[in-house]
Amino acid sequence: MNEERMFDHRPDPELGAALRRALDPPRNDQGAFVARVMARYDEALTAATVPTWEVLAGWARRGIAAALLAAVVGGFLLGRALQTPEPETFDTAMAPTSGPGVAALVTATDPPDASIVFASLVEQR
Amino acid sequence: MPPDTPFQPPQGAARIAGEADLVARTLAGERAAFGELVERYAPQARRVARAVLGDPDEADDAAQDGFLSALVKLGQYDARRPFGPWLMRIVANAATDRRRRRQVRRVEPLDPGLVGGGPRPDAEAVRTELGERLRAALAELPPRRRTAVVLFDVEGYSHAEIAGMLGIPEGTVRSEVFHARRRLRALLADWKGA
Repeated sequence: MNEERMFDHRPDPELGAALRRALDPPRNDQGAFVARVMARYDEALTAATVPTWEVLAGWARRGIAAALLAAVVGGFLLGRALQTPEPETFDTAMAPTSGPGVAALVTATDPPDASIVFASLVEQR
Repeated sequence: MPPDTPFQPPQGAARIAGEADLVARTLAGERAAFGELVERYAPQARRVARAVLGDPDEADDAAQDGFLSALVKLGQYDARRPFGPWLMRIVANAATDRRRRRQVRRVEPLDPGLVGGGPRPDAEAVRTELGERLRAALAELPPRRRTAVVLFDVEGYSHAEIAGMLGIPEGTVRSEVFHARRRLRALLADWKGA
């Protein structure tokens, strides 16, 4: 048997026929095979369109992980919000703890007294 | 039809158009059109699956898986191309997957109502010793090699089509067919000389 024939680009009819005989299913059961495939026609189409429990279970694991992460992040943000003090209003910031304070400088109609300025600066410290 | 004459669908554009029509009707929900495709390609699909798996019952399971998988993926089929290579690729993949899972798979028996009282799928071929020897020789070949030679010499697909089906270069297909032929032709020559 020469190598050229081995590389022949055409099918070998003799070998093909022998292989076909060896692999061929019996003729009288082709109908049974077709019927068997067609019996699962609807099932195959339904399975392709409706998500199966396995698919849902696969997504459930990711969903639980995402929910846990969201809960941790949410808890952290909520905790920070509760610990942050209320911002001071302008009036609160300007109100002196004792003495005339900064407000006296802003609202006074008379020229500022050096002692008041000094007192305000000391209070700010 | 004589036993050695397989189904030969019309060639070229007429064949592609006919199959595209069957596919379009299947996609439109016409169950009988898919039945016609199954009937047309069942012998070929079962042979290809058997070349991969060896066991005829397991091969029928794989061929069925292939047809049903093709039904689900039918929207992806390019109607400008022949249907056979597209289908055989799916069948060969289904058979290969089944071969990989062989150790853990539980075989589902055929529905007795569908099987009927006929002989086992391989009963006809088992009657000849040559058939037995060829199957044994095929089983000794690596799976890709035996699939390639069956697709080429039995089913008549081109090297390029087989390359597309198996996902390997065309040159590799030529090489696989060459090595398979060398082994199988030697067996055939011994048989004729005996």
